[in-house]
Amino acid sequence: MSDLANIPWNLILPIIVLQLILMVVALVDVIRHQRTNGPFIMWIFIILLGGIIGSIVYFIFGRRQE
Amino acid sequence: MSSLNTLLRKEWRENIRNFKLYWIPIVFVIFGVLEPITNHFLPEIMKSVGNLPEGADFLWPELRGEDIFVSLMSQYQTIGILVIILAFMGSISGERKSGTATLLYVRPMSFGQYFLSKWISVNAIVLASVWLGFFAAWYYIRILFNSVGAGEVFTFLGTYSLWVVFAVTVVLAFSAWLSTGGAAGLSILVLLVFQIIDGVVGIYWTVTPWKLSTYAASAFGSSADQAAYWMSIGLTAALIILLVLFGMYMAKRNAAKTLV
Repeated sequence: MSDLANIPWNLILPIIVLQLILMVVALVDVIRHQRTNGPFIMWIFIILLGGIIGSIVYFIFGRRQE
Repeated sequence: MSSLNTLLRKEWRENIRNFKLYWIPIVFVIFGVLEPITNHFLPEIMKSVGNLPEGADFLWPELRGEDIFVSLMSQYQTIGILVIILAFMGSISGERKSGTATLLYVRPMSFGQYFLSKWISVNAIVLASVWLGFFAAWYYIRILFNSVGAGEVFTFLGTYSLWVVFAVTVVLAFSAWLSTGGAAGLSILVLLVFQIIDGVVGIYWTVTPWKLSTYAASAFGSSADQAAYWMSIGLTAALIILLVLFGMYMAKRNAAKTLV
């Protein structure tokens, strides 16, 4: 447990918050639109498990511009 | 002017609806925050997950805050530029393909204003993202390294912004000229491959847009050739104007290719 306490959370926290915002924005978009390249369930998993990269990849390749 | 205003409002609404107004700034800020943190904790990260042999001892280079700005810039030069290309490659060609363009082109609008509305809105989003990213990095550099003077940072940002505007103009002009795929390929060639070529054999010339990032980094101490610096800025500005005119012309010429 002492390892966890050593992590400078006050420095790391903004990144985690930003990443969560990005993930939530991507998820809201997938669920509202459901028009994606490929099955949209797959994109939900990519966004949830892919971290920052997953969300970016969704916005660039997954969104179908209509 | 009022039709430019209307077109700008259309761009604004579109960029909110396709979330570009949110995710591009967030991505740049994440990179901006990550860069100082990883550089600061690199020795500890390597110690815990680097699989170093027992007793290995490295002499880590003593990084200054200025170096972090430059290393963040080189991140933006590759990943950042790639994000810009992929996000905006379809700005004009995509509208032709999807048929949005038919709704626009039947109205009495000038293609100059049409291209300009794209140019202004995309530049606004990208420049705001880049600046926010550097400001976030500046804050972290102040905490983890040393404080960097505002004069140096703004000289750096000013020079780098011109390169960013150049990159955006290239992407939009090619999007007006070619299909989405062609625009992406040619933009990657011009913005990323030429950068590598300039890095490898670039000692033979000093005045190019691709040298602007190097000149921007020279705001932090190392002095650059002033004449070459200002000539590069002039050349880049002239190229931006030419590319804007080219984009306006191509948007008009390709209007007939719109799918109905």
